[in-house]
Amino acid sequence: MSIPDLCQWLQDTPWGVGIRESTWLFPIIEGTHTIGIALSVGVLLIVDLRLAGFLMRHEPVSRVSGQLMPWSLAGFSIMFITGALLFLSQAMKAYGSIFFRIKLALLVLAAVNALVFELRLRRSIVTWDTAEHPPFRVRMAGVAGIVLWAGVIAAGRTMAYNF
Amino acid sequence: MQTLRPFFEWCDGTTTGQVIRDSRFLFPIIETLHLLALTVLLGSVLVLNLRLLGAGLRTQPMPLVARSLDPLTFRSLLVMLTTGSLLFCSEALKCFDSPPFLIKMVTLFLAIVFHWTVFRPTVNSPAEAARPRRIATAMVSMILWFGVAVAGRAIGLY
Repeated sequence: MSIPDLCQWLQDTPWGVGIRESTWLFPIIEGTHTIGIALSVGVLLIVDLRLAGFLMRHEPVSRVSGQLMPWSLAGFSIMFITGALLFLSQAMKAYGSIFFRIKLALLVLAAVNALVFELRLRRSIVTWDTAEHPPFRVRMAGVAGIVLWAGVIAAGRTMAYNF
Repeated sequence: MQTLRPFFEWCDGTTTGQVIRDSRFLFPIIETLHLLALTVLLGSVLVLNLRLLGAGLRTQPMPLVARSLDPLTFRSLLVMLTTGSLLFCSEALKCFDSPPFLIKMVTLFLAIVFHWTVFRPTVNSPAEAARPRRIATAMVSMILWFGVAVAGRAIGLY
């Protein structure tokens, strides 16, 4: 089964058809997806700004991230669920959209950035947890997070326009 | 409402409005900036509200959290008002007939007034407010700011 076949099959499923053809479901799911940006990326932004050394410099990084990341991750689960449902309802349109592909690529890069931070950079956190300006690579991980998520939002919004 | 119609017509007829309307890319670009600023605005308000509810950043004194987040809230609100005005000029007449637009403007006005008259004094006071007051303040703040966002999203549907 090729990718377009899979997309066609997905949007022909009862869920895909149901969401696409309902007057209210699509706007409600789409609205939740859009406004969920505040909880997912909005809260992550504060943690990334602390990593980059721009905000709450007198508070240990681990405290800012430990208390805010659970909220951001709850936001991201809302985003992934609503995003998957939206994709299901218009998989072929998304497949043909260059902006959807850009969005997926940026999502992968954001995930890699997060993994590098969690698996490598965080190992040495005891040495820079209370530092006003964490080491260069940690600050760059924060900046990269902000830039990549801004790109994901921009690409996602642009998907909805027909250029 | 009819007395305001000439104002909407004037906005719709401005050069700025026409240029945005006639361009293929300006509206999407300004709209994306509007959405990015929304991320920062709602994110910063949300985090401050989590602190108010005792659900995040508990270890830091509230006025200190407020002072860190204030510039984000204020600057992103400025970007939202600027980009929002530009978007409005490009479709002012459409907005005139849109119930969600009217709801959004009323909610926005209330959100800004509440933020500066009740919310900020509450989070900035050195003596932490009583728990019921903190919860009530956070609830009203969230309902108003997210209400603005929901009504804003709905403009595109009518």
